[in-house]
Amino acid sequence: MKKRKNIKKKGSSFSKLSLFTKPGMKFFKPCPLSGKDAPILDYKNIRLLKKYLSESGRILPSRITFVSQKKQKELAKSIKRARLLALI
Amino acid sequence: MNCYEHTFITKQDLSVDQNKSVINKYSEIINKNSGKILKVEEWGLKNLTHKIKNNKKGFYFHIKFEGVGETIDELEKAANIDENLIRYLSVKVKKHDLETNFFEKREG
Repeated sequence: MKKRKNIKKKGSSFSKLSLFTKPGMKFFKPCPLSGKDAPILDYKNIRLLKKYLSESGRILPSRITFVSQKKQKELAKSIKRARLLALI
Repeated sequence: MNCYEHTFITKQDLSVDQNKSVINKYSEIINKNSGKILKVEEWGLKNLTHKIKNNKKGFYFHIKFEGVGETIDELEKAANIDENLIRYLSVKVKKHDLETNFFEKREG
């Protein structure tokens, strides 16, 4: 059983992405929220926050949006603030 | 001195004069408790994305000010009792951004 589980995990990581990339290449994209001309991350900037929400209003995981770990924490905080004020 | 942002939503059926008195009330509280107001923004009547206390719409107001911890305590104490308010949010920020207003660019 253990061996089977391991095989499944290896296959599932980036399985969808690997369809569109060449085999053997690592899939990498820079973080859209960090860098020199990054947009202002704030709970009032609703247009920006809506890009990182699913259709039903849930926060998208960073493995899909390629947001860095540090910025993902800030993003989650500002989305929750906007939800409290009924802006999103 | 710390930088704070305070946002609050008032009820839909308030008149313009009533809304002004609400702002004056809270700006007085800030001034009395060793605070200093830098900017007041009015975002106007907006639709709430979900119902809050059976309200569908509300007037949004946003105050940027400098103050100490006691200023926030007094503000929230008054906001908890107030019947005209639907909800409020006070946030501490590192630096004030006085130029960008995210809710006034719709005309362009």
